[in-house]
Amino acid sequence: MASHLPPKPSVQYEHAAEGGAAAGAHAPARGPLRWLLTTNHKEIGTLYLVFSLCMFFIGGIFALVVRAELFQPGLQLVQPEFFNQMTTMHGLIMVFGAVMPAFVGLANWMVPLQIGAPDMALPRLNNFSFWLLPVAFTILLATLVMPGGAPNFGWTFYAPLSTTYAPPSTTFFIFSLHLAGISSILGAINIIATILNLRAPGMRMMDMPLFVWTWLITAFLLIAVMPVLAGVITMMLLDINFGTSFFNAAGGGDPVLFQHLFWFFGHPEVYIMILPAFGIVSVIIPTFARKRLFGYASMVYATASIAILSFVVWAHHMFVVGLPLVAELFFMYTTMLIAVPTGVKVFNWITTLFRGSISFEPPMLFALAFVVLFTIGGFSGLMLAISPADFQYHDTYFVVAHFHYVLVPGAVFAIMAGVYYWLPKWTGHYPHERLAQWHFWLSVIGVNLTFFPMHFAGLAGMPRRIPDYALQFADFNLVTSLGGFLFGASQLLFLVVVVRCVRGGEKAPARAWEGAEDLEWSVPSPAPLHTFETPPDFQPQQH
Amino acid sequence: MWQIIKSVLAAFFGVQKEARRREDFEKGRAAPFIIVGVLMAIVLVILVVLVATLAAG
Amino acid sequence: MRKRLLWTAGGFAFAGLSGLASADGWNMPVGVTDVSREIHSLHMIIFWICVVIGVVVFGAMFYSLFRYRRSQGAEASNFHEHTTVEVIWTVIPLLILVGMAVPATATLKSMYDTTEADLDVMVTGQQWRWRYEYLGEDVAFTSNLATSREQIAGEAAKGEDYLLEVDEPLVLPAGRKVRLLLTSDDVIHSWWVPDLAVKQDAVPGFVNENWVRINEPGIYRGQCAELCGRDHAFMPVVVQAVEPERFDAWLAQRKEAAAQEALGVDRDWSLEALMERGERVYGTICASCHQPDGSGSPPAFPALAGNQALLDERDRHIDTVVNGVSGTAMPAFRSTLNPVEIAAVITYERNAWGNDTGDAVQPSTIADEWLAD
Repeated sequence: MASHLPPKPSVQYEHAAEGGAAAGAHAPARGPLRWLLTTNHKEIGTLYLVFSLCMFFIGGIFALVVRAELFQPGLQLVQPEFFNQMTTMHGLIMVFGAVMPAFVGLANWMVPLQIGAPDMALPRLNNFSFWLLPVAFTILLATLVMPGGAPNFGWTFYAPLSTTYAPPSTTFFIFSLHLAGISSILGAINIIATILNLRAPGMRMMDMPLFVWTWLITAFLLIAVMPVLAGVITMMLLDINFGTSFFNAAGGGDPVLFQHLFWFFGHPEVYIMILPAFGIVSVIIPTFARKRLFGYASMVYATASIAILSFVVWAHHMFVVGLPLVAELFFMYTTMLIAVPTGVKVFNWITTLFRGSISFEPPMLFALAFVVLFTIGGFSGLMLAISPADFQYHDTYFVVAHFHYVLVPGAVFAIMAGVYYWLPKWTGHYPHERLAQWHFWLSVIGVNLTFFPMHFAGLAGMPRRIPDYALQFADFNLVTSLGGFLFGASQLLFLVVVVRCVRGGEKAPARAWEGAEDLEWSVPSPAPLHTFETPPDFQPQQH
Repeated sequence: MWQIIKSVLAAFFGVQKEARRREDFEKGRAAPFIIVGVLMAIVLVILVVLVATLAAG
Repeated sequence: MRKRLLWTAGGFAFAGLSGLASADGWNMPVGVTDVSREIHSLHMIIFWICVVIGVVVFGAMFYSLFRYRRSQGAEASNFHEHTTVEVIWTVIPLLILVGMAVPATATLKSMYDTTEADLDVMVTGQQWRWRYEYLGEDVAFTSNLATSREQIAGEAAKGEDYLLEVDEPLVLPAGRKVRLLLTSDDVIHSWWVPDLAVKQDAVPGFVNENWVRINEPGIYRGQCAELCGRDHAFMPVVVQAVEPERFDAWLAQRKEAAAQEALGVDRDWSLEALMERGERVYGTICASCHQPDGSGSPPAFPALAGNQALLDERDRHIDTVVNGVSGTAMPAFRSTLNPVEIAAVITYERNAWGNDTGDAVQPSTIADEWLAD
């Protein structure tokens, strides 16, 4: 994998040129067809990011329906059937439609620029893997108007609620998840092929920016676990439509088998959603601290081993399902073991800040908030790892608080940090600083108002996924709902900032940020449609 | 070989020296690291199973 | 001066956190069993560990952010590696967690020790109620949400125990070790009472074990914790722990009542008596899916009112109720309802809402022809 010899440019650039030729001899098609047929990594990256933003708002609206219903005890706005559809669709859309495509979009844009490649290694596959997504999510959203309603069994779709007891639309849900899975696998293959083959001459694996590293490892994780997800939903399909009994106890099947398979996919999936975020933050913090990342080698080695170890912790999601004692202990110990090297990476970021020269531009604000709030999510993760205590935490709002801290001010803030960081490169303009600051502070306040009280509600005994609750949880839910609406509304500001930035604003030079050092800052801002057609002269930084 | 095992152990622990890392990447082949990594993961799993079995006693 | 300020601020933060931690309704309850106490103390230990780490980490972070501002002319230094420091800050959390693993293992072992129980209770989850069976005692009943639909819809004032009240609580003897055997008739449920620190999934086709020894008599409330469909929020758990003597008396009385009910199987029931009994059974068992007016909610739950196919074939109707329909949400009631209840509810369904077949299905028919094996 890691060739110490630089890749042979002649061969690879010929291939890339062929891809370009197929799309019309470097002259982009005109009109809407241009976007349908594009094989350019920047345009496909933009498509991914725009798609992800749309899904972020749709999933956000579903979350607000949930929060509106939970504003007060009692059933006011929606019935439980529809409430369950909203929680399920919110989770599915945010995980598979918003967070994952956003990271793929950032990878599409930035990986070739950061390694000095002219494009992705497989441009037509790139186009295909994107266009699968709108199809997949149109099908998923269409289930909302089907008889019996949309999937209503939670984003974890535990059998037999999702098989024997599921609405008829479940078959469409399975199909859409298959399509999204294929898209992810193809995207991952493309990213691996690009990173391994198209690095600028002289750039070795260990010279790659950490965002590229984390994405390389994430891509391997995707290829490893997406087929497991495909397998488990195919088993569901057979149970529902072809009379098998994989998960049906009455036919000799095992409902718990479903959970083992799901979480064997699901836990690495958690890392799929957070490792690229680590990468983004590890690029942004050194830039604005004007100091090299502390412990680069440790970061890379730890990320790689986390990827392997993430396959042996899955059953910590299943502590109360009735595992034997030895299994319970095994998964508690492995979870603690993997938590430590993951957690202490936070120390590396902080030490990078120590004795730096720090400025607080919008990308840095989001990256710093990521460090603090992700760490809070990490703390509740440590608590959840203690298996006996998990008997109390499991399936309560404490867990909801935990994974939202890891995913919203974790993954989502990292994505926003990345967007603010690279917007000057994409558009040639700086984002409006004042508006971005407003967006940042409102988001931080909104996120904490929303998710912090959930810890208390969960500890006090509120189960997750309920449309109505006992009176002692009323105050927490009131605050959470208000926070949720604040957070949701402040994302409109994000939309405003991005649209304004695309249309105009303060002009950005090639090196848009003073401390930025990676290859993408050597091309003009905005980056022209084709970059690095001749490989750049890469001088490895003494890492 | 011993170097590779040491590097993989360091990775599992989550800390590695810059100099060691440079040596590793001079080797030019990743396959041994990946194979050793997977083997060590299996060893780790067996160890933890043993500990858990003992603890469950 | 600055130091004193820092200490004062730290003191307030500590007092605030401690207050929160011990305030009712903000933190995990200490509970009323030895296990729940142990779990609570594990929870508090790991919580304070997190607080301490958080103070150190965030303290270092905000100090750096404040001290090394570029706007204050900070110059970046160039160090980027220090293996010893990295090893130390990895080893310390590792040791802390090993330290945590020891008591956690001990607690887990005692939680898994279900031997030498004084009483076995089978807990069965059903959409959306709990069924309790005192094994070897011939006493069994279902426990349904007692909060009225009007309260949920906001048409009546909400009571103190809104959504956490049932028609019949699980009665357990305080001070005795009770083994809980959990299973489900349909989807996965999870039986949870925070004060008892028992949360265990009820999985269809499998039996999970847990146990509880309640130290203080009282009423303890909880809920289903695993998403189980539409009324997941509406299947509470209420445990009433009573003095052992009172429990024995209660159990004897319930046994007597069950024996009386068994006698009823052999006699001939009038249509009116069956209808009256059937309406009650329908209300607690069937109405949540097939609706109080028998209109169902197709396609998942077919209508019963005016369902000609059902009314034409009495045997198929009985078969559906007794044996369920595999591959659908319709469960088999052969083991959860007694012959009187089955006969009564079928009679009710065949005569209510204008169905008017005039059929009276006798309990003896059900017992002899359908449940004989």
